[in-house]
Amino acid sequence: MKWKADWGLRGRMALTMFLLFALYVAFVGGLLLYFNNIFFAVVLLGGFSIAQFFFSDKLALWSMGAKEVTEDEYPELHRMLGRLSQQADLPKPKVAVVDSRVPNAFATGRSQKNAAVAVTTGLMNTLDSDELEGVLAHELAHVKNRDMMVMTVASFLSTIAFLVVRWGWWFGGGDRERGQPAIWVAIVASLVVWVVSFLLIRALSRYREFAADRGGATITGKPSALASALMTIDSGMSKVPKEDFREQSEMNAFFIIPLKNDFIGKVFSTHPSTEARVERLRELEREL
Amino acid sequence: MGLFDGLREVLGIRAETDATRKADPDDLFGMSTAYVTMEAELGYEAVGEAALCFSEVDSADFSDAVEEVHEILEVGAEETGTETEAHTDDYGYSWVILRDSDFEDLVTSLNFAADTLMERGYGSRLLAALFGFRDTSGRQQDGRYAYWVYSFRRGAYYPLVPKGTNDRDSSAEFKLESKLDGELDIENDKEYWYALLPSTSGKHPWE
Repeated sequence: MKWKADWGLRGRMALTMFLLFALYVAFVGGLLLYFNNIFFAVVLLGGFSIAQFFFSDKLALWSMGAKEVTEDEYPELHRMLGRLSQQADLPKPKVAVVDSRVPNAFATGRSQKNAAVAVTTGLMNTLDSDELEGVLAHELAHVKNRDMMVMTVASFLSTIAFLVVRWGWWFGGGDRERGQPAIWVAIVASLVVWVVSFLLIRALSRYREFAADRGGATITGKPSALASALMTIDSGMSKVPKEDFREQSEMNAFFIIPLKNDFIGKVFSTHPSTEARVERLRELEREL
Repeated sequence: MGLFDGLREVLGIRAETDATRKADPDDLFGMSTAYVTMEAELGYEAVGEAALCFSEVDSADFSDAVEEVHEILEVGAEETGTETEAHTDDYGYSWVILRDSDFEDLVTSLNFAADTLMERGYGSRLLAALFGFRDTSGRQQDGRYAYWVYSFRRGAYYPLVPKGTNDRDSSAEFKLESKLDGELDIENDKEYWYALLPSTSGKHPWE
């Protein structure tokens, strides 16, 4: 079973990453022109990011209220993930469950060895076993493609740009010779970098969702099951009470389907529309 | 991790390529000599059963391929006398169960089955081949089953000793590993020793 490679998707992903990279090079170069102490800030924030990167799996699980579960508690979930991992050639990740009615799932962990896959109780109640398998495989594809790391690296300088915008005066504090204008130039430049990189990162995130859908469908061999899971979750989302939405909105990027938000348009979304994803899975189904 | 794996990760296609990577059946025949050591030196007796586990593909062509596997096994049965049975487990995975008191015939038949799937282009769906043994040394009263699992994804063996339905006997597995190391290609990363446990205690994983 081998599908036609999606060169369009790979091309767009590569271009997005190149643009981000170019933007960051210009950003760092620009800041260096104005400030001598920017290195200090980059090192400090770099340290912060690395720490976040290393603890991100625990952090994500903790912030979602996901509890790791044993084989005895959820034997089926464990077995399903075991088989899927075997097909994907991955060590079996940790398995966690979130007690929430919102049907959703996410994967976390910087590498294959310390990955965790979490699902909500709502997801297990809503989906049949083929669909659940499709969702788990999609999450395993994220682990395999190292999306957590790719997105952390991609967002690193964007975070710095944001902090410069927010705390710009602090960066320029020691630089009295050049005076105030330098700080403002840096803040405006950072603002531009932050906004542009934000959009690029969101685009990258959407491309990686498509890639994980493809990966997931290859693991299960059933693109239709994942498509039907996506549609079921999508229709289930709108019935869920509002409180849960607000609680979990920060974790959107890691979800299988993000929570709906009226004012955030297409370009701001971390995920492609369910229709677009289902359409692509349909294409894979035809190729089977 | 190689450079290409890194590139595949960056492009988001590693999941796809690894899931469709061809099967590695190189060492499958290693079992036809290793069982002698199991019986003569370790007190494990072959139970005369082996099974091939694979994940399905949702297509007519795949169903055809599986049918072909069973046809070929039936033809081969005239020579080897291996009985075969098809089984789908609770998780939607397919098994080809083979029964033969002659261990070498068992290995040969299992190879036939695996080869056929690989020739049809579905080698990447092969997960594992399991060879069943029973502890006859009296160390354990219940004569617990032990298995050698061949992982087609990794091209290596690992021992599996189920303890009930949710646990494994790691010390027995460790013993098997150390005794047969060298004779079999053993997966050295234990993270890849997937638990293919039975649904009912005391039964085979494929039952």
